[in-house]
Amino acid sequence: MRPTRRQFIATGAGAVLATGTGCGRGGEDVRSRMGLPTHRPLSGDVTPPAGREIDAVSHALNRLTFGVRPGDHRRVAAMGVPAFIEEQLAPEKIEDRLCERVLRRGFDHLSDPRSSLLPRGAGAPDALARMFPALEHQSTRVGELYEFKDKTLLEDLSRATVLRAVLSERQLLEVMVQFWTDHFNIDPSKGESRWLKAADDRDVIRAHALGNFRALLRASAVSPAMLWYLDGRVNRHAGGNDRPNENYARELLELHTLGVHGGYTQGDVLEVARCLTGWTVRDRKRFLRGRVEFMARLHDDGPKRVLGHEVPAGLGPGDLDRVLDILAGHPATARHLAGKLCRRFIADDPPETAVAAVAAAFTAAGGAIPATLRALFATPEFGAPGVRAAKFKRPFHFVVSALRATNARTDSSRDVLDALVRLGHAPFRWATPDGYPEEAGHWRNTLLWRWNFATALVGGRVRGSTVDAAGLRQTLGGDDAVMATVLGRLPTETERVAYHQSRSGLALLLASPAFQAC
Amino acid sequence: MATQAVISGQGDQRRTLVVIFLRGAADGLALVPPLGDDHFHRARPRLAAVATKGVRLDDLFGLHARMRSLENAWREGELAIVHACGIEDDTRSHFEAQDLMEHGGVAAGGWLGRYLRSRPPAGAGALACVAVGKALPECLIGAPSVSVMQTFEDFSLGGGTPAFRAQLERLYAMERGDLGAAARDTFDALVRIEALRTSPRPPDNGAIYGRDEFSAGLARLAQLIKADVGLEAASIDLPGWDSHFAQQGQVDTLAGRLADGIAAFRRDLGLRMATTTVVVMTEFGRTVEENSAFGTDHGRGSTMLVLGGGVRGGRMHGEWHGLAPEKLERRGVLEGYGDLPVLNNYRNVLGAVLNRHGGTSANLAATFPEFSLNTLPLFD
Repeated sequence: MRPTRRQFIATGAGAVLATGTGCGRGGEDVRSRMGLPTHRPLSGDVTPPAGREIDAVSHALNRLTFGVRPGDHRRVAAMGVPAFIEEQLAPEKIEDRLCERVLRRGFDHLSDPRSSLLPRGAGAPDALARMFPALEHQSTRVGELYEFKDKTLLEDLSRATVLRAVLSERQLLEVMVQFWTDHFNIDPSKGESRWLKAADDRDVIRAHALGNFRALLRASAVSPAMLWYLDGRVNRHAGGNDRPNENYARELLELHTLGVHGGYTQGDVLEVARCLTGWTVRDRKRFLRGRVEFMARLHDDGPKRVLGHEVPAGLGPGDLDRVLDILAGHPATARHLAGKLCRRFIADDPPETAVAAVAAAFTAAGGAIPATLRALFATPEFGAPGVRAAKFKRPFHFVVSALRATNARTDSSRDVLDALVRLGHAPFRWATPDGYPEEAGHWRNTLLWRWNFATALVGGRVRGSTVDAAGLRQTLGGDDAVMATVLGRLPTETERVAYHQSRSGLALLLASPAFQAC
Repeated sequence: MATQAVISGQGDQRRTLVVIFLRGAADGLALVPPLGDDHFHRARPRLAAVATKGVRLDDLFGLHARMRSLENAWREGELAIVHACGIEDDTRSHFEAQDLMEHGGVAAGGWLGRYLRSRPPAGAGALACVAVGKALPECLIGAPSVSVMQTFEDFSLGGGTPAFRAQLERLYAMERGDLGAAARDTFDALVRIEALRTSPRPPDNGAIYGRDEFSAGLARLAQLIKADVGLEAASIDLPGWDSHFAQQGQVDTLAGRLADGIAAFRRDLGLRMATTTVVVMTEFGRTVEENSAFGTDHGRGSTMLVLGGGVRGGRMHGEWHGLAPEKLERRGVLEGYGDLPVLNNYRNVLGAVLNRHGGTSANLAATFPEFSLNTLPLFD
């Protein structure tokens, strides 16, 4: 296997090269070159929250972001929660140069257009495209991801995920990327998804995370990584008694759209599987590996019936869109998605009234995700004081929020990933198609590793991540300000005493019960 | 030490599964040689002569001479052996074969990780699942929580001063409900681990562990089991089995470490072996015929060992068709003698073990997707 770009970058030659090309841009944190530990320097008004309880501002920050940075509360309080929500619902309008620069420098291959599922832009065609002009208009080049060592690719993708969660100003986008990553979960340790998940992350999940659900569903259905993960690639009908592989069809109904109690039958699963026969992906032993194609001769082109709707014979590849229309527009899908969104943003056991309102908004908006979320954040249940600080952060949220609360510099390298593995919540490591669980009950036994991450981070024992506790204290204006900033409210008397007597107050705050909640 | 409620707070005494992976493809025919088969002696004239110095298990099979320390386990019916074992795929790549085996086929996550996930609250305790070594093995990917451990230091409240810990306990003591309970369980486990670290107990029953890393890892696992921290599954590797060249010295050393380590572990645990199972596996076996360099090359079937309470031991399990040339798996006309075929899929061994550890048919279906299990009757 030829050396990967990452390996090259890891060598001295790479360092010289990067140094040579990385200078000369004004106003940037010079350490962001080469994936060195980075943070966004604190600026502006960093006045901490002054309420005794989690207020509406802290609550919105807790739920729409991966954690509150010093200064966030002040900024959102000034603009108002509704404006903050609108800002976050339109990520394309948010300036995010620092994050983009860090990603470009350390993880260029993850965004390399040559490995894209999407049609290539109108640039000059390369040699391969000249030989095969049709390729220019098809999703063909994802195969270049195979050049990387799979473990390197997974590590880089995981690091990029953590870095974005820590650094990006488009926090709600990152939260929704995680939501859909769980919803359309792919464990890249299965088959060739180990190379193809990177394209799925970019062109399916990220491209549509705050877009339209129907388009997201379509992209996922023909994602080569998904075709590997749920065996769609071997779902075929070559004639006779060939029985389709139902794996993807079942999860499409049970997990991606209608939900397990969505009113479908085993017959519907089989019929959906028949509709999807013939969609496959070229494996690595073949030319144009990773390319998704529809093989008409492997498609069952007879008439089908899905959830009471006719799918007439002869549609060929058109069966796919027919089926996705039926599923995406089904009321059970709206309810299923609304329930999951409310569980993520409101409470583990979400109030029925909120679910109904969000489902109605999803349907009315034709599956537009921002409109659905806007309706969710507008429900009285979302704003109710009783739900504030009542969710238990999942481990990823905990780790990222600790890095954000302390304004840590981080390169999200091995130690951070190891901590996430130990906490059972490393990106892209959940084996089954249902994605990491949301409910607190799955995560409570991770306390020791949370405490250890807190003390290690503040104590300078997380390689690649540093916290300047004294500097933070000085910038914020003293211990009380540190406590209020990290907790999102004034400390209780017990917390204040514990902070001072623990001799490592910042670590204690991160390890405290209050910081586990969001 | 009296049996305490385990860390999960559930009070049930769980069983512990220890998976030992022999990386590099261990020569099953050296570990458990079919001494009673003339074809064995013809195919390996030099290596077979050495093998005859081992222990006789029955009319057909022996045990490597350096594995004599496991003879008692066999005689006492606590050691079962499955020969001609492995994966269905005929790749002879170490990486691919280990990957397939640990994943349990072309599947996402590792078989043990999937199993622990499929059976809540199995594997959910803070110290329920431990991987001895530097990295998480593939078989545990997807487990609810895994501690990668080399020393007990890894289990401490790292860097926390007594003052820090006291204040942390104080804050969590005010928490009611599940979070408070989880915190109390965790502090309780810390106390037990600290006791192990600060006043290490010598192994029980006069067990003596070797100074090698593998034995040290097993010794730590035994301490965790005896401390009732709720350990449900552990993995530990013994690498270095790729014996292409002059294998005798290499295999002798490793076979000795393997057997002596397990024997010490068994002795140390004493009665607790009744709730413990040890499984030994490897990615594939080696050629039946020895090569010109007194070694063996990549083959197919190898051997699995299963030890512990409830094992129908002292006997061989599964299919065995002998080493006659027509019974071997051939790779092509030009290849020599052929390979020991895989007659017993490794999942049928692991499936029996997971049954013993409380796995239902639904758990096993989740653990080994797309495989029709036909578990071997390894347990009473």
